[in-house]
Amino acid sequence: MTTPENTPETIQPMMATRNLSKRYEDGVLALDSLDLSVNPGQIYAMLGGNGAGKTTTINLFLNFIDPTEGEAIVDGIITHQEPLKAKAKIAYVSENVMLYPNFTALQNLDYFSHLGGKTSYSAEDYQKVLLRVGLQEEAHDKKLRSYSKGMRQKCGIAIAILKDAPAILLDEPTSGLDPKAGMEFINLLQDLRDEGKAILMSTHDIFRAKQVADIVGIMNAGKLVAEKQREELVGEDLEKLYVEYMTGYMDTAVQATDASVTVG
Amino acid sequence: MLRTIIEKELRDIIGSTKFAVTFGVCALLIILAFYVGARNYQVSRVQHDAAVAENLRQMEGITDWMMVEHHVFMPPNPVSSLVTGISNDIGRNVEIHGRGELTAEDSRFNDDPIFAVFRFLDLDFIFQVILSLFAILFAYNAINGEKEQGTLRLAFANSIPKDTFILGKLIGSFLALALPLLIPILLGSLLLPLMGIPMDGNDWQKLALIILAGFLYFGVFLTLSTWVSTLTHRSANSFLLMLILWMFAVLIIPRTAVLLAGRAVDVLPVDEIATQKSRLMSQLWEEDRKTMKDFKPSTEDVQKVLDEFNRFMQDQAEERQKKMQALSGKLYEQRRNGQLQQQQLSFWLARLSPTAAFSLASMNLAGTSLSLKEHYMDAVKSYQQTYSNFFKEKTGGMLKSGGFIMRRMGGEENQPPPIDPTEIPAFEYRRPTIGASLGAAMGDLGLLTLFNLIFFAGAFVSFLKYDVR
Repeated sequence: MTTPENTPETIQPMMATRNLSKRYEDGVLALDSLDLSVNPGQIYAMLGGNGAGKTTTINLFLNFIDPTEGEAIVDGIITHQEPLKAKAKIAYVSENVMLYPNFTALQNLDYFSHLGGKTSYSAEDYQKVLLRVGLQEEAHDKKLRSYSKGMRQKCGIAIAILKDAPAILLDEPTSGLDPKAGMEFINLLQDLRDEGKAILMSTHDIFRAKQVADIVGIMNAGKLVAEKQREELVGEDLEKLYVEYMTGYMDTAVQATDASVTVG
Repeated sequence: MLRTIIEKELRDIIGSTKFAVTFGVCALLIILAFYVGARNYQVSRVQHDAAVAENLRQMEGITDWMMVEHHVFMPPNPVSSLVTGISNDIGRNVEIHGRGELTAEDSRFNDDPIFAVFRFLDLDFIFQVILSLFAILFAYNAINGEKEQGTLRLAFANSIPKDTFILGKLIGSFLALALPLLIPILLGSLLLPLMGIPMDGNDWQKLALIILAGFLYFGVFLTLSTWVSTLTHRSANSFLLMLILWMFAVLIIPRTAVLLAGRAVDVLPVDEIATQKSRLMSQLWEEDRKTMKDFKPSTEDVQKVLDEFNRFMQDQAEERQKKMQALSGKLYEQRRNGQLQQQQLSFWLARLSPTAAFSLASMNLAGTSLSLKEHYMDAVKSYQQTYSNFFKEKTGGMLKSGGFIMRRMGGEENQPPPIDPTEIPAFEYRRPTIGASLGAAMGDLGLLTLFNLIFFAGAFVSFLKYDVR
């Protein structure tokens, strides 16, 4: 039964941006008035080509850069005002997870968990999470220098899980994974969503985005040019839609009158 | 958080193959430096004892104190074997006259010039060259290396204050690199008593301070490398930049400072002093020869005539000596003042480099700095006075130097008994105390601390603005 307190309109988003813009010193406008929100238990997939503004958005959430205008908010905290407080609420997986090559997976997990403020984990806890992300037990004590990109990616995901943050940022998380690992990853994301995590994911992978996302946002040249809810994508050819927005945004999207499409 | 970063740094550095290899080389060299130092001390001790014995042996059978040629020798110093400084360049052997100038001869490099070619492998060299490179090798990519590796971005996705991170990196890398070096240093120190090197409390304290200075110097390159790694985004660039800075610090600045000071301050050359002295000496001899013609004995008794003549010659010699000493004193003072000015200027310029500051500190602590010669010659001059008094006592007021004495030779039955060389007062050279050495090194130790603070502050401020993406 829906009450006024928990209707989608009244739930406070775990991650949100308000009029978020970033212009770099060389004058390039990387992000232009971005407005999006991700609620707890939601997966938001940002689709877009290179230079669309996806990574800039993630960098702004992590306060690696300051916004030119607007704000990125995590659990009600404006990231550029209270970056340390905000980052305590965020777990992050980069596109190409690079960890310490002289450390084993367990040592890497231990270090990054401590950095994330989690100091009570045991070796068994780390092993459980590594198994959960699909990393075979015999690899746990091997140094990372012998790991493939996919294995490192799994370690990165394990680090994010161990942080147990309510918000998760994923920058092209499936780029190094084989199809099987990709599928396992999708299942994992669904589990995390079911645990109530808010997940913001940047990706080129339209198929995975459609498979897992509750909301798909299409970005082009720093603008959010389209945003579709999961139910709106049923029966929709997302790939066609994506190409249409990526290539003909100026000609077609601005003129679009479809109420389900928000032009950013 | 700080502890986590320090522990990670320790584990990351100590667990690397690069560390194992470079640490192995450094450890070997440090132990070798102690061994070579101890061996040099043993050799020097044997040479010194042999020279002292030979000095006494060559006096055996002499029946007249006026025939004695007495030498003193600088005793070897255990700490100076570890930080040789200029100890091998200055003369150790001084012939003692009752009066007049004293000259130190027979430096170690004069005796064995081969060692002057590449010098000794001592602690000063190990710290100056090897350990500074060791510090650079591990810290040139402290920050930009993590950025290239991608771990910096991942680390800063967490709530880590940047100041905690850089502090942790610096403390961690210092502990990871400096603490293991204590192992070969302790092993090397253990070699000294095992090889019979007589280190007293003062020596141990000096050695401990030299090692402290070494670690301060090591810290300078560590903090500087870390700073450079926050100023560049590519580790290849920071490595190149650090190599250039290392070359300037270790090789170029100290040498250029001496060169510039040499150009800026004129020092009266020794040749010029010798020419002026020779000129005066000729003039005085000429005058004395004329005076000798006026010598008229007051008696006809041969022995009394000889005594009168000897006294006359002694008076002349003393007068000549006074005039020579006055000129010599003036010229050497002029030279010494010039040298002091030159030395001060060159040291101040050289101290732009932490290498020079470390070198000066360690040499002052070991007692092998430029002041060693002065310190030794002061001790010898002081001994000269004692020896002069002893000699006068033995010869009835006469001294041996620069003149000639006439003797009436008797038959074998009148030969006086041989002299007893062991009566000659022993020469004791006291090395500077720990207080004096520390006082002399304090400025440079402070400078090394200042370098550390400046470079640390540089790294700290620069990293606060660093783009961690």
